[in-house]
Amino acid sequence: MSEAAETHESGIRHPGAATYLIIAAFLIVLTVMEITVFYVHPLRPVLVPVLLVLGAAKFALVAMFYMHLKYDGWLLTAVFGFPLLIAMVIIAALLMLFAYLAHHALPIG
Amino acid sequence: MAAQPKPIPMHQPSYLEGGGILSWLTTIDHKRVAVMYGASALIFMAAGGIEAMAIRVQLWHPDNHALSAATYNAFFTMHGTTMVFLVVMPLLLGFLGNFLIPLQIGARDVAFPRLNALSFWLALVAGILLHLGAIRGGLPDAGWFGYANLTERYFSPGLGVDWWVIGLLVSGTSTVLTGLNFLTTIITMRAPGMTYMRMPMFIWSLMVTSVLILIAFPALTIGLIFLLFDRFFDTHFYVASAGATPILWQHLFWLFGHPEVYIMALPGFGIISEVLPTHARKPLFGYPMMAYSMVLIAFLSYGVWGHHMFATGMGPVADSAFAITSMLIAIPTGVKIFSWIATVWGGSLRMTTALYFALGMLLEFTLGGLSGIMHAAAPIDLQQTDSYFVVAHFHYVLFGGVMFAIMAGLYYWWPKITGRMLGETLGKWQFWLTVIGFNTTFFPMHFLGMWGMPRRTYTYAADMGWTHLNQLETIGAFVLAVAFLLFYINILGSLASRDPASGDPWDGRSLEWSIASPPPAYNFATIPQVRGRDAWWILKYGRAGSRGVAAYMSGQAPQNPQADLPVAPIHMPAPSIFPLVLSLGVGTMGLGLIIDWYRIILIGAAVMILSVIGMGFEYPDFGEQSHDPEHAPSSGGIDLRKIGVWSFIGSECVFFASLISTFIVYKSRSIGGPGAEVLNIPLTSFSTFILLMSSLLMVLALAATQRGDRLWERIWLGGTAAFGLIFLAGQVYEFTSFYREGMGLTTNLFSQSFFVLVGFHGAHVAIGVLWLSVLLAAAMMGKLGKSRALSVELAGLYWHFVDVVWIVIFTLVYLMQAVSGA
Amino acid sequence: MIGRNSSMLAALALAGCSAKGRPMTTLAPKSDLANWIQNLFIQVTLWDALVLTIVVVGFILAVFVFSTRVGEAAPATTASSDLGLEIAWTLGPALILLMITIPTVRTIFRSQPATPPAGGLEIKVIAHQWWWEFQYPDGLRTSNEMHIPIGRPIRLELESGDIIHSFWVPQLGGKRDVVPGQINQLTFIANTAGMYPGQCAEFCGLSHANMRFRVFVDSPDDFAAWDKAQLAGPVSAPVDDHAAAAGARIFADSPCTTCHMIQGVSKGYLGPDLTHFGSRTTLAAGVLKNTPDNVARWIANPTDIKPGANMPAMLLPGPKMDALVAYLESLK
Repeated sequence: MSEAAETHESGIRHPGAATYLIIAAFLIVLTVMEITVFYVHPLRPVLVPVLLVLGAAKFALVAMFYMHLKYDGWLLTAVFGFPLLIAMVIIAALLMLFAYLAHHALPIG
Repeated sequence: MAAQPKPIPMHQPSYLEGGGILSWLTTIDHKRVAVMYGASALIFMAAGGIEAMAIRVQLWHPDNHALSAATYNAFFTMHGTTMVFLVVMPLLLGFLGNFLIPLQIGARDVAFPRLNALSFWLALVAGILLHLGAIRGGLPDAGWFGYANLTERYFSPGLGVDWWVIGLLVSGTSTVLTGLNFLTTIITMRAPGMTYMRMPMFIWSLMVTSVLILIAFPALTIGLIFLLFDRFFDTHFYVASAGATPILWQHLFWLFGHPEVYIMALPGFGIISEVLPTHARKPLFGYPMMAYSMVLIAFLSYGVWGHHMFATGMGPVADSAFAITSMLIAIPTGVKIFSWIATVWGGSLRMTTALYFALGMLLEFTLGGLSGIMHAAAPIDLQQTDSYFVVAHFHYVLFGGVMFAIMAGLYYWWPKITGRMLGETLGKWQFWLTVIGFNTTFFPMHFLGMWGMPRRTYTYAADMGWTHLNQLETIGAFVLAVAFLLFYINILGSLASRDPASGDPWDGRSLEWSIASPPPAYNFATIPQVRGRDAWWILKYGRAGSRGVAAYMSGQAPQNPQADLPVAPIHMPAPSIFPLVLSLGVGTMGLGLIIDWYRIILIGAAVMILSVIGMGFEYPDFGEQSHDPEHAPSSGGIDLRKIGVWSFIGSECVFFASLISTFIVYKSRSIGGPGAEVLNIPLTSFSTFILLMSSLLMVLALAATQRGDRLWERIWLGGTAAFGLIFLAGQVYEFTSFYREGMGLTTNLFSQSFFVLVGFHGAHVAIGVLWLSVLLAAAMMGKLGKSRALSVELAGLYWHFVDVVWIVIFTLVYLMQAVSGA
Repeated sequence: MIGRNSSMLAALALAGCSAKGRPMTTLAPKSDLANWIQNLFIQVTLWDALVLTIVVVGFILAVFVFSTRVGEAAPATTASSDLGLEIAWTLGPALILLMITIPTVRTIFRSQPATPPAGGLEIKVIAHQWWWEFQYPDGLRTSNEMHIPIGRPIRLELESGDIIHSFWVPQLGGKRDVVPGQINQLTFIANTAGMYPGQCAEFCGLSHANMRFRVFVDSPDDFAAWDKAQLAGPVSAPVDDHAAAAGARIFADSPCTTCHMIQGVSKGYLGPDLTHFGSRTTLAAGVLKNTPDNVARWIANPTDIKPGANMPAMLLPGPKMDALVAYLESLK
């Protein structure tokens, strides 16, 4: 397989197999790091931030390279990015709202 | 009617001509689909109106027994559900939106015409399902908001809530498909020269609304799915004794419900922004601000849902946050009101019924907006919520704002749609009776609310001082009913009349007025060139005479500059029976589920699957050839199917976000039984590698297809599907081992939210494997290849999305198993 | 139409603020909480009136003064944008909203104290389909009629026995939902003696409209006396009242005992405690006045008065019914 980038029907250039393989290597390394963090107990205090960063990195790699958002222009990024932003805000907001309930309004026992 | 420009002298057979019943059942013409939407919505509107009248009759005096408590509760539930889902949205989107989007952007149809027909038939099936309770098991009676845990089987044992859940799921699916279709259409199919900042404001409103739909409805879908699981499969998503909380429903419902308000309001704003400039013969004032303010409203609308829940005890911090975001939304809304007034200011007004309703909307909606500010102030809301004050508020928004806009839109576009004028005298009578009836019905409700009358009560005591205003309101309601009667008489009379409308009866500004009324099936003989905002106005009068008044006053009839252009052969998509059949299959499945007859479910499923396959084979080249290939899309060369898939993926983000947040919250509230510690990390680590590698194979397959490498295309596609199957096998193994160890779906909150989240992801993987198998089969038959690389790319986008969802699940669900959500 | 509405608003606002003839009005506050809300409401209403006036004046000028009708000579102005105007009508409303937001946030925090106020009376409120139960810290239990003292902070701990309800006594403050699996609070100090009707404000099924109750705000002395009387245990049927004595035997042998408690007689807890039934002013969750006729009507057919009620109808021959009613009414 050559490194030659392929030309999309509409003229947008997509990366070739070599790029895809490099990304796959990154994905594997990141996943191994995630699992390591999980099993190495001294890392437990930083588990959440480290996992969030690693997970986000994997997410971004797939979206940018395998889903071609890096190459396909702003429009598709917007069509995906806006709902994604809202989705993350929803998760964060719901977790905070229910955390308040758990601390302040749950019946004892 | 003032003197009209001469009709364009060109005979074109209209979209209404030709064909029998079958041609309507199989139509995928956006205009015919729109007409069917409109007809069904106007019938449902009569039903919802009769329910409202029955409610007002019951409240005529205290301790009345005209309706039983059960009937009253069913009526207010059905009135709300019907008006929101079966009347206002179908009229705005299905009817006016469908009809006008292609006409206003200069296209021949929407992006996915068969999907459009499917949306309509699903919407009709949903409307029928929602009413079937009248025949069997009782109408829905838990309110249009269906608050848990009243909707649990224990508290609502009848079938009413079942009909409601299934009906809304089908309706929601239909609406999401519409949103996806409209967004794709507006992005990709605008006529050459129509940039975003040249689009008619109605198109802007529908574009923003489509995004709102895609993001808002998944939250409702998830809420309904939890309820469906609770009612049919004995889970406890809203049962407090299991540690769950019915508040979850309220969050999911209002996450949908508040954007839904704008899904109904924004197209109304769009209509007003069309009617006022045309009738004032003046461009829309502050066009850029009008567009941006809608985008801002859409964005803010996701941060205000909590203002429906101030009384639930969210705590002072959340109350303050939601109060502030809710106040903020008033700013862009105010911009719109002032800009509309400025549009009229200095205008040369054509005093038609459409303009009357548009001007009426400005004032009535302002009242609704101002009482909304009271509710944004959380402490005031604690007195007003769930009282008649709120009933007054949202009727000023939804009737005074949206229904007035719909009426303005109907009077404005009726000639275009039917080729017949509506009676102006009757229209003005209707307007004044509507204004009198509406304000007499709803304005006193502010006072009833301030005097403490709770809403959704079928009766009230005589010593509360509420009787006189209730009687006044009932009288007002009858006046309003007469107004609607006049409307129905007017439209039926118009259809029966022989008084044809010209192509451009109002001296319009946008492209729909450049073609005949009613339009020919193909809309535009030649796709117009757009040279600025108010495209048709510029074509008629030129850019210099932007008001065109001089030309108009001199009696010079505007010419259609495109009439003489040569007409190229026009390829229109073929009709299809499958949208109808598929919808009937879906309806049959819902019916079978509710009346508990598995054979009916199987029949419905078989019909559904067969029609999906049938749709696939209808166009053997896998493509929705909806528009002629020569029609250059204006979106920088992005294929419309790609936009469609990305819109769907965006919508899925909120679907999974709702599932994931529920899992994290419920994991920590789960009582007894197994928790996240049972999750098998080695197995799922392996599954994660498999799915990541399948994504690699998928991009390699795409690269091979783009190169035209037939051999590796097949190998990589097959490999991707095989890895997907391995992943699914791992999941089946994981699930069965949980079952063997005694962790079933209903064991506890952890198990049910885990199985539903991971199960839905698994279902997505399974659908992906099916999709890949179809591609593989096509590759084997030699039907893929370089020219069809897009088909592989689309499947790839979906597949990678399923992969990134798994990345999130693996991180948040599996690796953070010991982290408490609270 | 706006002109009509706003003059109507003024006229009705004057008439509407009095509690006379409208015992559930929100406009005659009788507690600190209700006062704060009222103050905020007045502020927002004034700002709203200002905005409404601007819009209506602009509307009238635009439609009736600074525009012509089609066919007449067109007005001179053709502006389709004006940066100054557009900034003004963005910033102006923003400033007004800021003026509203500040007192709003202040009131939110003031009305939701995190901890119970010192010296307060904490009452547990349990909402059921479709009646209210009140439990006092001294062990007193009553139904559908709550007594509280003037001037002492009241902390309500709201719990649900089944589904979501909402506690609302308009004159004493805003509503607070009663949510299963969650304890919500409502804190206020009542400042005027009197009887204040309340009602469930969240739709809770068939008889949502019939889930009413009353709050009696008493002077501290009256409250102490009421508290003492209620705590004193049941009044045993007077020996000279034969009807009531017969009624007591009918009650003791009836299925009523399964659900209703009368201290020393029965231990049911699913329905309201009847130990001091005769001292209440209403029955059936505030739907009927507590008169012998109404009690008999209720016992004979509860679902006729409150659709969906769990209490089964009890068909008793006339004299027996009279005796049962006499017994219940004797439970002062």
